[in-house]
Amino acid sequence: MAFSSRGLVLLTLGAAGLWAAFELRLDPRDLVPSDGGMVMARELFSRAWSPALAYEAADVPAGTRPLLLKALEAARLTVVFAAAAISLSLVCGGILGFFASTAWWVGDQTGGAKVGWSRHGVRPVVYGVARLIIALMRSVHELLWAVLLLAAFGLSQLSAVIAIAIPYSGTFAKVFSEMLDEAPRDSAVALRSAGASSSQIFLFGLLPRALPDMSAYAFYRFECALRSSAILGFFGYPTLGYYIAASFENLYYGEVWTYLYTLVLLVVVADWWSGALRRRLVLA
Amino acid sequence: MSVDGRIAEVERLRRRRPRDRFARLSVWALVLLTLLAWSSEGLWSTDYFSPRRQQNLQRFLGELRPHPLQGQPFDVSVATAWAGEILSERGWEAARITLAMSVAAIVLASLAGLALTLTSARTHATSEPYLPGPRPPTRGQRWVWRAVVGASRLVLILIRSIPEYVWAFILLAVLGPNAWPVVLALALHNAGIVGKLTAEVVENLEPGPLRALRGVGAGRLQIAATGLFPLILPRFLLFFFYRWETCVREATVLGMLGITSLGFWIVDSRARNHYDEMFFFVLMGAGLVLIGDLVSAVAREVVRRAA
Amino acid sequence: MSERGASFRLDGVSVTFGETAALREVNLEIKPGEAVGFVGPSGSGKTTLLRLLNGAVRPTSGTVEVNGEALTSLSPRQLRSLRSRVATVHQDLSLVPNLRVMRNVLLGRLGRLSLLSTFRLLFLPPRSEVLRVHKILERVGIGEKLYQRTDQLSGGQRQRVAIARALYQEPSALLPDEPISSLDPARSRDTMGLLIELSRETGITLCVSLHDLEVAREFVPRLIGLRRGKVAFDRLTEELTSEDFRELYDLAEDEMLDGV
Repeated sequence: MAFSSRGLVLLTLGAAGLWAAFELRLDPRDLVPSDGGMVMARELFSRAWSPALAYEAADVPAGTRPLLLKALEAARLTVVFAAAAISLSLVCGGILGFFASTAWWVGDQTGGAKVGWSRHGVRPVVYGVARLIIALMRSVHELLWAVLLLAAFGLSQLSAVIAIAIPYSGTFAKVFSEMLDEAPRDSAVALRSAGASSSQIFLFGLLPRALPDMSAYAFYRFECALRSSAILGFFGYPTLGYYIAASFENLYYGEVWTYLYTLVLLVVVADWWSGALRRRLVLA
Repeated sequence: MSVDGRIAEVERLRRRRPRDRFARLSVWALVLLTLLAWSSEGLWSTDYFSPRRQQNLQRFLGELRPHPLQGQPFDVSVATAWAGEILSERGWEAARITLAMSVAAIVLASLAGLALTLTSARTHATSEPYLPGPRPPTRGQRWVWRAVVGASRLVLILIRSIPEYVWAFILLAVLGPNAWPVVLALALHNAGIVGKLTAEVVENLEPGPLRALRGVGAGRLQIAATGLFPLILPRFLLFFFYRWETCVREATVLGMLGITSLGFWIVDSRARNHYDEMFFFVLMGAGLVLIGDLVSAVAREVVRRAA
Repeated sequence: MSERGASFRLDGVSVTFGETAALREVNLEIKPGEAVGFVGPSGSGKTTLLRLLNGAVRPTSGTVEVNGEALTSLSPRQLRSLRSRVATVHQDLSLVPNLRVMRNVLLGRLGRLSLLSTFRLLFLPPRSEVLRVHKILERVGIGEKLYQRTDQLSGGQRQRVAIARALYQEPSALLPDEPISSLDPARSRDTMGLLIELSRETGITLCVSLHDLEVAREFVPRLIGLRRGKVAFDRLTEELTSEDFRELYDLAEDEMLDGV
């Protein structure tokens, strides 16, 4: 990049930032909390080093499960939503991604006879429709899907899973199709010259080349799904977000940190896991 | 070789085959997790097809129609008039605010992310960046730099593993209702991501040019300004636009906490049971996200070509 | 095994890609079990010629016959079956790097299997097939690599995996494209020796493209010189004079000058 164009790019981004600041009336003085806010902040962050290990409320009804067990249960549900949503979107996104890639045109790309639907010219249509569906699924945030499903069906755990799964399917489809398109084609060509059919070529020549990238990405999205699933708690599902909000509103700041640290722990473990897998699968 | 001999030989080779235990274990763990998740009974407790839910669903779908048109045949002019009114009253402003929040957030996030990159990239934040010094560093020096890297990596992990929504929720209570809580929440989470990604880029840089700068006596900040940033700029811009895309998505939603972006009007109209308006704002948000994706895709393509 | 070696016959074959002519008016006959080398500078049409024999390129004019049958008369299914009998070893090997050696070899069979049996063969291979793969790998000298991941092997070893995959197809002809282009001299001789031996032992027809004349003269009994898509000579190696070779490459230099 030439210097002038580099300068121009940075200048433009800076100008955009300034416009945004004016538009939002961002005033640095507002960054200083009011007295009430200051007190709250001090109380909240002073508990960061001492998260609650038992309920802070004075009168806990008898028979309530201990706080840590409750946190564990919330964590379990957070993981359940995330895992269910990811597996669902892997299936939907995988299928959509296949149609949104040019990989299934491989019959043409390696020369030789055209196969199957191509003769009817259906493929560009299927490709376009798949791209459109992906864009629509992705363009609405999982929380908005949750709000829509909540309004349509009422509170239901399956709706939470579906709300996460819709945009995630779209994202998987988009990313997977790109990975399939960028995977090296040489083994596909070799299989064709050994007389393999299109579906064999795709499954055994192309898919294995993209699979390491795809699985590393799936693990990364699992980490994202954990966060999304926790956030759904703010809409009434008993995942970690629910208890973070509830404890916060009851001013039980120690409990806030307990739930927050549980979430951080989940995410950090998933992050470490996906990172380690990526180093082995992709970078090895 | 006899058949038996070959069978034995193949079996010997199979037993000695190199295996990636970790990858294998990961796959099984994930399969197990998925099965456990789907067998969680809470997921199956709702009867989607009960008559009451069916009725609700019917009513809900009916109410998605613009209210002047409910129970009427569809009329384009009425619909556009209805939409125009929402747009001029709140829609355009909400869209502009959403966009501004995303831009402000990503600019702040990338500044903070770049700063944290300098202290968390192991090749840069060390007692001997790029070239050895006259004497081996003392144990104390080594320890200090290791602590710097460790601490900034911890900060990066912490700020990115707490979701934007939670940050915004907390900051809103501390700072009160202005745009800062949302902008800061987005900026914090994304600074964690941008910082992590650019630190990886820095660690994988060819050290040649940076060594040369160190060779003429440049300090860490001088190297950063004259060598490091120009070298990572193309990759950095890719991350910038990629994260900006998600910022647009999240800025729409974070309005739900009470800042007048699109998300605010979505929950507001839902609370007033105006499902037609709610749906309209959801569609507006989708449109904004689509435009954002498009701009980001074009920008990233331009960067990729130029680099 | 009467049908072991395939025979090829090219009659006035030309191939053009867009504006450029890759092959012009090539006439050629290769008998069952013969070992033939295609030599010539890069861009002279060696690879195109090999791909013609496998049905991976359609001739623009002229006919290609394999075992006396014109390729254009085949149905798509018959073409697939032909490809599985005429085994190509691509220059870039085209192995799937993140699969084990055994699976890469098993992939050679795809042309004769349904999708379902492919899954069975790859994920639950019957012992007889594993033994066969091992036998072939042993024949090409890397028996102990059966269960290794392909990307862990050296270049020469990968070359042998690619040859093993082709052999596993039970081909009647073997078409290695520049099999020694990325190997050091010692490995090149090993590989060429192996290919010639295999062709002699089994009666498989061998058509190999080479740019290294030394090696070609040392190993291959019949050489076909190509330049600018035309057959420059087609003779037994022992009858070839150094004049023939000089002409082949002198003209190539002209060609280079033309290009400037």
